[in-house]
Amino acid sequence: MIVPEVVPTITVSLFLPALYVALIVGFIALLGISFQKKDVHALILTDIVGVAMLIIVAAVGTDLAEALILPGLVVELAEIMAISEILMSREMRKTGKKVSFMPMPIKMDMEILKTAPNFLSLVLIVYGIFLTGFTGGAVAGVGILFYALARKSRGLPFQLWEGVSGISGVAWCIWLAGFLILFVAPEIWLLGLLMSSFGILLKVASKMGLIGVLGREEFKRN
Amino acid sequence: MDIATLGGQLLGQIPLGDIVLYLTPFNLFMFAGALIFTTLIAISRTETQVEAEFGSLNDNEVKVGLKEFKIRRFLAVVCGLATAGAMITGDVFNFTLLVALIGIVNIGIVSAVKQIDVLNAAFQYGLIAMIASLPLFGGAAIILASTGTLSILEIAQLSFTTPMMFFASVLLLLGIAGETGIAPFYATKAEMFRTPGSPFILIIHLSSLLVIVRAIEILLIINKPF
Repeated sequence: MIVPEVVPTITVSLFLPALYVALIVGFIALLGISFQKKDVHALILTDIVGVAMLIIVAAVGTDLAEALILPGLVVELAEIMAISEILMSREMRKTGKKVSFMPMPIKMDMEILKTAPNFLSLVLIVYGIFLTGFTGGAVAGVGILFYALARKSRGLPFQLWEGVSGISGVAWCIWLAGFLILFVAPEIWLLGLLMSSFGILLKVASKMGLIGVLGREEFKRN
Repeated sequence: MDIATLGGQLLGQIPLGDIVLYLTPFNLFMFAGALIFTTLIAISRTETQVEAEFGSLNDNEVKVGLKEFKIRRFLAVVCGLATAGAMITGDVFNFTLLVALIGIVNIGIVSAVKQIDVLNAAFQYGLIAMIASLPLFGGAAIILASTGTLSILEIAQLSFTTPMMFFASVLLLLGIAGETGIAPFYATKAEMFRTPGSPFILIIHLSSLLVIVRAIEILLIINKPF
């Protein structure tokens, strides 16, 4: 039997309705794409097809399906970023105008942005390290993001930013090495577990470093 | 269907926990082919493209800047390695991920080009690749739901096939067709090969050819038609 005994029947019976919902969502999105006239709208509607894909994968509802969802989401994000870059670069080439990365619509000149960022981001980062793992990484990442946004009007030290992105790469390697230990030498699983958990803490926290490198031109201008 | 019937004898397995790679002469041949072509890309220098001018006997040289060229060659090498990985993986899961990687890298290779026509084609191709991720991942998920496993070696030993598995295989094939840009989605790729510095862009072609052959092997193993 494919489905284990412990799974209640209502969970099993939800699979087919979820599949139909996903196929209908995908069909509606494809209809929308075929009706639209502008390229930007096609791009936005394509994202709905990605959501339908996530519904199908989530309908399976096992650990393996969870392992499929994460790369599916990452693939969708990577593709939508790449395609919107293509669209922007084509439009810039057509009109001959340059657009800044991360444009800020209002000029923020507040007292709190000059005094608070160091303390608040320090608190967030320390709390994130205390939590460890994915959640801790997210909290510490919010701290770094807050620092970056608050300091933006005064200019960011972009050399430090490149350092952060370097740490991000190293953390990625630690994470992978930890997983390899779990696969190849299961006896020392504790080391592998610690390596991957600290790796993902650093990785998620330094995710902003990646955006920092992307926005390098803008930091240089400041 | 038995793995040995399709790919010749089973030469060996590389077990890495749940991820089991398996080697048959069929797989090894395509793996080596992909690696050899990747090495050729990594050492070749094709910055200049010579075009014949229409209506005269002159030649027209088109050059690519070294910076742009380096990025595109790096992405082409990544594409070759992903193709090689997709050849020997024994896992529908890893196969799906590597095909998705090939799709992303294909978009990346052409998006560095600074010509409006090529960017237009790359945009359309990118939309197709994004839409194709629905049948690709959805097919893999339905295979998982209907067989309980994603390992090809396990699926080959199953004694039954269900209509759901056939439906999933059709979805998977649609997804692979869209990600690598074979027959019905082929048209937008023609524009990409006309870009300067393009000889190594033929890795896009090679990857779609090899991946489709391997995908047919996997689908035959899953559905056991004979």
